[in-house]
Amino acid sequence: MRDRNFLLPVFYLLVVLFLFFPILIVVPISFSNGRFLSFPPEEFGLRWYRAYFSDPVWMSATFRSLRVALGASILATFVGTLSVVGLGRRRTKTSGFLTAIFVAPAIVPNIIVALGVFIFAIRLGVSDNEFTLVCAHAAIGLPFVVLMVGSAYRQIDPTLERAARIMGAGPVRAFLTATLPPLTPAILSAGIFAFFVSFDELIISLFLMSSAETLPMRTWNDLRFEINPTIAAVSVFFVLVTTVAMSSTELLRRRAEKKNAA
Amino acid sequence: MSKRLTLLPGIALILILFLIPVGIVFQQGLFDPAFTIEHFTRFATRGAYMRIFWNTLQVSAVVALACLLIGYPIAYFIVRQPTARRPFLMFLVLVPMWMSILARTYAWMVVLGKEGIINQTLIALGIIDTPIQMLFTTGAVYVGMVQIMLPILIVTCFSSMTEIDQSLLRAARIMGASPRKAFREVFLPLSAEGAITGTLIVFILSMGFFIVPALIGGRKDTMMANVISGQVSQTNWGFAAALAIVLLAATLLILTLVRGASAKLVHHHEEAH
Repeated sequence: MRDRNFLLPVFYLLVVLFLFFPILIVVPISFSNGRFLSFPPEEFGLRWYRAYFSDPVWMSATFRSLRVALGASILATFVGTLSVVGLGRRRTKTSGFLTAIFVAPAIVPNIIVALGVFIFAIRLGVSDNEFTLVCAHAAIGLPFVVLMVGSAYRQIDPTLERAARIMGAGPVRAFLTATLPPLTPAILSAGIFAFFVSFDELIISLFLMSSAETLPMRTWNDLRFEINPTIAAVSVFFVLVTTVAMSSTELLRRRAEKKNAA
Repeated sequence: MSKRLTLLPGIALILILFLIPVGIVFQQGLFDPAFTIEHFTRFATRGAYMRIFWNTLQVSAVVALACLLIGYPIAYFIVRQPTARRPFLMFLVLVPMWMSILARTYAWMVVLGKEGIINQTLIALGIIDTPIQMLFTTGAVYVGMVQIMLPILIVTCFSSMTEIDQSLLRAARIMGASPRKAFREVFLPLSAEGAITGTLIVFILSMGFFIVPALIGGRKDTMMANVISGQVSQTNWGFAAALAIVLLAATLLILTLVRGASAKLVHHHEEAH
């Protein structure tokens, strides 16, 4: 059995290398200065970052995506947290059924949601509309909020909220002062998760939007015709943004855990 | 009473942006304007569409099994490490998920292309004379999809494995079981449900893949989502909807079948002990 002790770590390293492979490729390309794509790059520089930040088409797509993702994330987090409270702590038939419905958009392929939302929006005359896209993205982000905030909610001791009620606080105030603070890290993580569900979503945007592009739409349209290093610069930039965002929520969560443990 | 009211915004959001749209897909696929199965007969009788459907099932199954075979040992390795080291080992598995799927697919295009990194290296080393076709092949689709899905399987397996009492394994060893036997008789059955769930999640998510087959697959690697999107751009909504219904029905059917089968399997195993 000694061989397994040696093989598994090596296997783990190989798999991590495979998982990191796309990042390891894209980072050097994004810092290349050549006109054409070559690997390893012959000359390093910020050429493609300049190209990205100075191109109004890429910039407007980026801002549209940030706007839509922010809206979708806030909507999904707010509505999802309210739903978690409504579902309650105890598992009943109704709450089980409703949870299944809330989680369903994560299981049903996005292409089906995209087709339905697209036809529905056309009938209502609200296709090619950023607000419709925000709502659609909120719906596919909702499952993750319900799951993530839900599991944190069930771990919180309900006695505190009950005590607040007995002391005369209204239901809203009791929730805000007793339950919401320990729930905040989970809500923030869920919000960031919902943000990236929207930020990376292509197919619903592709169907719904016709006159304006989101960042994934811009990338998609670019990739179909040429392999342009601008995409490398864009993605490395956002990997950095994501890493910072994810690490800060993880820190928040750990701090909250320590506080709870203390 | 007031707590129930807080469910209303969530129900409204899901109703308007999920349940009604899915209902509309069914309506579009089945009514034109009177009830018709015309779109479904077209799907079933044209070989090309059936081939794409089977291809979608096959690719998803291969990706799910590949993820299980690679991911299960990884989750096992991580869970057997000291508790303090586990978060870092999981962190390394999860970080690649932070890169957009489009960007990751772009990376494979750069690596696997005719003038890509692998071909350039092999030619420079004198191993091959002419570039090997790697981009636009089924193999490229598998590599791209496994890279995306693997962390999901590892997380699912890992979280079910952390619930296994590690002292059970030690107990089995003390009672004289070989490490191999302790693993097979104790660890494997207890972690089977998580592994089946993970594989199923990967399979279901793979069924809806769009970007990877479109950008790094060949013509024959087209999947259901790609045809649906193609039909939408030709404004064949009815047929697109019928294809979407087939995809949804297949997904739900497999979900139910595997869930039922695995529940029975786990149940049997528990009874046998």
